[in-house]
Amino acid sequence: MSDQFPEFFVRLDTFSSAVWYRTRRGRYRLEGTRCANCDTKFFPPRTGLICPVCYAREMVPYECAHTGTLVAVAQDNLGFPAWGYGDDLPRVMVIVRLDDGVHVMGDVVEFEEPEAVEPGARVKMVLRKHRREDTGAWVYGYRFVLADL
Amino acid sequence: MGKINRRVMMVGGAITMPNIPIDWTWRQLATEPFWQALQNTGIRVSDVDMVACAYNDRSIPDSSIGPQVADALGIVPKPVVITSSACAGNGIASYVAWNAIASGRCDIVVSLGFARSDNYDAMESMNSQGNYVDFDYMMGMTHINYGAIRDDYYRRKYGASVADAARWAYQCHWYARRNPLAKAYNDPMPVLEDLSTDTPEADRDRQATNRGGVASCMIFVGEEIAHRFTDKPVIFDVAYAYRSPYIGEFFNYPLDGLREYDLAEFPALMAAAREAYTIAGITRDDIDIAQTHDLTAYEGFMAIEGLGICPVGQAKDYVAAGGMTLESKCPVNTYGGGTAFGHGSVGCDFQAGVLENFWQLRGECGERQADAPRVGVNSSYGTHHSLDAVGVVQRGW
Repeated sequence: MSDQFPEFFVRLDTFSSAVWYRTRRGRYRLEGTRCANCDTKFFPPRTGLICPVCYAREMVPYECAHTGTLVAVAQDNLGFPAWGYGDDLPRVMVIVRLDDGVHVMGDVVEFEEPEAVEPGARVKMVLRKHRREDTGAWVYGYRFVLADL
Repeated sequence: MGKINRRVMMVGGAITMPNIPIDWTWRQLATEPFWQALQNTGIRVSDVDMVACAYNDRSIPDSSIGPQVADALGIVPKPVVITSSACAGNGIASYVAWNAIASGRCDIVVSLGFARSDNYDAMESMNSQGNYVDFDYMMGMTHINYGAIRDDYYRRKYGASVADAARWAYQCHWYARRNPLAKAYNDPMPVLEDLSTDTPEADRDRQATNRGGVASCMIFVGEEIAHRFTDKPVIFDVAYAYRSPYIGEFFNYPLDGLREYDLAEFPALMAAAREAYTIAGITRDDIDIAQTHDLTAYEGFMAIEGLGICPVGQAKDYVAAGGMTLESKCPVNTYGGGTAFGHGSVGCDFQAGVLENFWQLRGECGERQADAPRVGVNSSYGTHHSLDAVGVVQRGW
């Protein structure tokens, strides 16, 4: 926490331990789904949902590639950070094209200079702290670091 | 497309002034434009067959607000259809209202939207509607982050500059000083050179301002009765379309019509425009005036490209050549845009564009009046352009 953003008290109804539990595989290892009928890969997972390509409904777990290339980058410098991220500025928000073709939104951490985070840079997924859930426990999930791959 | 039994005519509408009193309840907010519009058109409350109402305010604890809206408007026991589709919500309410008229089921229907965006809790809750909640939003990625990433991507892909964005914002401000309903109506006019600087402050000035709590409404009737209420009824049509709600899937989505695009285009807006133009019987060459729901200049660029006002990737050239101005074949954002009219979310983001075109077609826009437009289009979006709505108005007299 920081002086500007002291310990927060989450009140949003979207924040719940149940949601964190349901999304754990996606957060921890980029687990999405693959359509068992047409093999199309998806992230976020579409478990129990209908495939928009072939309209089948059998989805199987699929762990996405953990490495990829930045295709879009922007600094979160508008002074309106998401709750729980106020001590972590400037965040560099990105869209990553993973090496299996799946695209995910995320942020890049542990860089020397924000300017080094540019489209075309290679990154790999790492598991890092995010924010506290409403019980006070830390939530972990995927983030990305620059990588010489 | 199914059978359309009759044309839908717009005969009136209203929008609240910016900065409504903070002691207004949401019921009072919703009722204000409804009352104003009925008064202006001479329609009695008892003559309204149905209301389609969009709202975006999670500070309202009631799980079902339909009966409360009906009660507030004095139309009990008639139905109020509640919709919730983020900032394009009043476009979706208009779609519901349009269907009720076009099918012949109702004769007089009001499309209503309201948003209590002067409430911080409500604003923060809206953030969760901006991104795919289970992952992106829960992991601290908001729709504001999406907007910044999208703008940067568009700039790189199509070579748009800060100066290009400044020209868009400047023209919006110029119109807003001529629109008493605009948030920036009484503010000093910005200096173009200041808007063109590459600083966080100038970047903020090129983006949308917030109107605070807002409500707006539009009144639709069947074509055979429209002249009872006005000698200048306007034909109204609307369509909307989706793309994936997950931003990562804006790239390489495995369906034709979406695979070809990415973060720098609005394919849902394009699809909605195609359907709306088909229903209205127009082509993009017929369009005389356009309004966009733009929270940044680059978003405005992408919107006029999606509407077909100019080719994809060439909005900066259209604006630089004076395409937004009153001297253009198709002026853009005469209401002031998100930058200067103000972002009203579900309260008015779709309807502000339709209402401006309605008043423009009727020649009621004073100093910002375009030269006798006959066809106007507008765009609006919700949830980071995974939902886009397009409205078309044409002279009906």
